[in-house]
Amino acid sequence: MRFQDAARDARAVVYAGIQADPLVARLATLLAEAEASERWMARAVMNGERTDPQKWRRIFPSLFGEAAPAAVADHAERVLAASLEVANRGEQVRSQYRGAVVEELTARLLARRAGAVKRERRVLFDGVPAEIHPYDVTVESAERPEVYDCKWGARGINADVLNQLDDARAHAAEEEIELRVAIVVFDARRSAELRLDRSTARHDETRLVALESIDELAEAGA
Amino acid sequence: MTARADVVERAAAAYRALADLAETIEDEWQYVTDLTEAYLPSLEALAKTDSGRPLPTGPVEAVDEAIAEIGLITDPHRAIDWLSTFPHVVALAFGGDVDQPAGVEKPGATEPESDEPDDDSPFRMLLRRPDR
Repeated sequence: MRFQDAARDARAVVYAGIQADPLVARLATLLAEAEASERWMARAVMNGERTDPQKWRRIFPSLFGEAAPAAVADHAERVLAASLEVANRGEQVRSQYRGAVVEELTARLLARRAGAVKRERRVLFDGVPAEIHPYDVTVESAERPEVYDCKWGARGINADVLNQLDDARAHAAEEEIELRVAIVVFDARRSAELRLDRSTARHDETRLVALESIDELAEAGA
Repeated sequence: MTARADVVERAAAAYRALADLAETIEDEWQYVTDLTEAYLPSLEALAKTDSGRPLPTGPVEAVDEAIAEIGLITDPHRAIDWLSTFPHVVALAFGGDVDQPAGVEKPGATEPESDEPDDDSPFRMLLRRPDR
């Protein structure tokens, strides 16, 4: 088994420009330090119709109300501002930014415990045709390699994604390598589990990381 | 009807309308149905923890503002995103949660003694956090 950079087609080049936008890094950094309620706010704002910050402050009184400590409100304000910048990009572009943010957040959390965290990589196995789509994030450790597919919403979970992850795990096992595979969803665990419950694709050895527990990516032994 | 039960009823009605819009994506009918069947009872159950005390204005305004937000949605794809998000936004406003099926309490869960959020709410964790 070996990792390889994905081929850069035209779509990948455009997407790379979004991934490299400082807004993506700024928001991912803020979300990596955020609590779950701030992450819910970010999800709501980036899914939202309105871009008036005062409306969003009213929706989240725990973050912006009079009882909220100044440090909490200050951090939430920065998350709100960055999320609104994404929301203001327009529907087509905002969906690409949202995906890039989840990938960057995943990579940043993993980097707290793992050294070789990479993006847009394929996994190759001897005698097996390579998958077309690269993995969003990989941890390229010889002892404990990991691959992650990142989704903005639970709706992004589908049979293709689950099959690709499980196939990689199975092919690695044939080479006596324990490849850990996971899907990261910036959405509710309950929603993701509902989605998985209906899927006939094998996923019993694919880990689910949802919005509420995304910090576990950074934990040793995770 | 108390303020809390009243606003939860408005939220549930808005959620049903959102589900009606989302259902127009035929390929996602099953997922929309699953989401609605899971979250609607949990959303409605938020009213059952009503202590009878007057609800502070913050949570009521928050939920009404969230209802206004989803009322603006015309894109059924975005409606599906919100079917998963809206119940959690409402629960955050009340300091409750919608992660469990309605009627199933988390171990050790009790009705809050005050209008403050539950001990296991993200809001409470935020408030307790001394620094960032």
